[in-house]
Amino acid sequence: MADHPKTDLVPYLRGELAPADRARVARHLEGCPECREDAAALHGLIETLGRSVPPPPAIHWGRWRAELTARRDARRGRHAWWWRPVPLALSASLAGALLVLVVLGGPGTPTGNDLAVVEQTLLGRRLELLRQLSVVERLELLEDLDIIRQLDRLAAASEG
Amino acid sequence: MGRWRAEDDGSVENSDEALCRRVAERDEAAFDLLVERYRERAWRLAWSILRDAEAARDVSQDAFIRLYEAAGSFAGRARFSTWFYRLLVNRCLDHRRRNRWWRLWARDEGEAPGGETLLERQPAPAYDPGDALSREQAVSALWAAVDRLPPRQRAVVTLQAQEELSTAEIADVLKCSQATVRVHLHRALKTLRRTLEKR
Repeated sequence: MADHPKTDLVPYLRGELAPADRARVARHLEGCPECREDAAALHGLIETLGRSVPPPPAIHWGRWRAELTARRDARRGRHAWWWRPVPLALSASLAGALLVLVVLGGPGTPTGNDLAVVEQTLLGRRLELLRQLSVVERLELLEDLDIIRQLDRLAAASEG
Repeated sequence: MGRWRAEDDGSVENSDEALCRRVAERDEAAFDLLVERYRERAWRLAWSILRDAEAARDVSQDAFIRLYEAAGSFAGRARFSTWFYRLLVNRCLDHRRRNRWWRLWARDEGEAPGGETLLERQPAPAYDPGDALSREQAVSALWAAVDRLPPRQRAVVTLQAQEELSTAEIADVLKCSQATVRVHLHRALKTLRRTLEKR
């Protein structure tokens, strides 16, 4: 006896096999009571399943449709505002203009922002001095002594 | 049960495939028409695979949203119905996969180690083939057993029994070989047969 055509039985019962395969399975069934029994049971089972599919619960189609529309709109809205053609073109133009300003430098007189940037740069340079605080303190002491000396001269001049 | 076929209104312009192409061009009326044609079948199939009304509602809507977004990728090689089926069944299987642990837990709470529900553990009346109530109970037990099948076997059974798709069509929907579909179907029916024989 050839191998039992287990997985071919359902396609055989549903008439899906090619003629040669169909003939092979039919020949096998003639000589194999076990497979004939299987085929009969499967046939009954398929029939029962097909006849008894439980109906789905009732659904409110108006609500279902409204939810679908809302969800679709929400998805579109989530990534669409910047992805639409006009905002996309505007964003690209703005980014391009900023790039040109950065690369070529701004035209005309410096603005408040530009001055702030210069000031911050100078401060940054001075901060370098803080790393040598002791030197700065000595410089300040010398400066103070110099001022005192000048005061002495001022006092002498006023007396003279 | 309805067969999953394009509803031909006699015009090529309104075939499912033509409507899908129009959806790709953001034709809202075409989308509405496809929703109208397929919503009941989508709902029925999603519910049959998921057996959860809320999940079936979400998944059936998801499938239409995906249809709207991916209509441009419909190449027209397969029928629209097969392509849409694939979107829907994939979403159902994804949903079941995501909720696998929850379902296992919920099932463990209410079932015996053998996988039977509390209801099924009650002593069954003697089976009389002529008894309509027994037949009804047998059918209920059969579909309860369908519920417990692994997701792909269950999808194959549902597509075959409910939507009457051929093995080739099911293979198309599930993106697998016909041999794989036959194996799934064979194993599923074997399990279901055992369930009925145990009663």
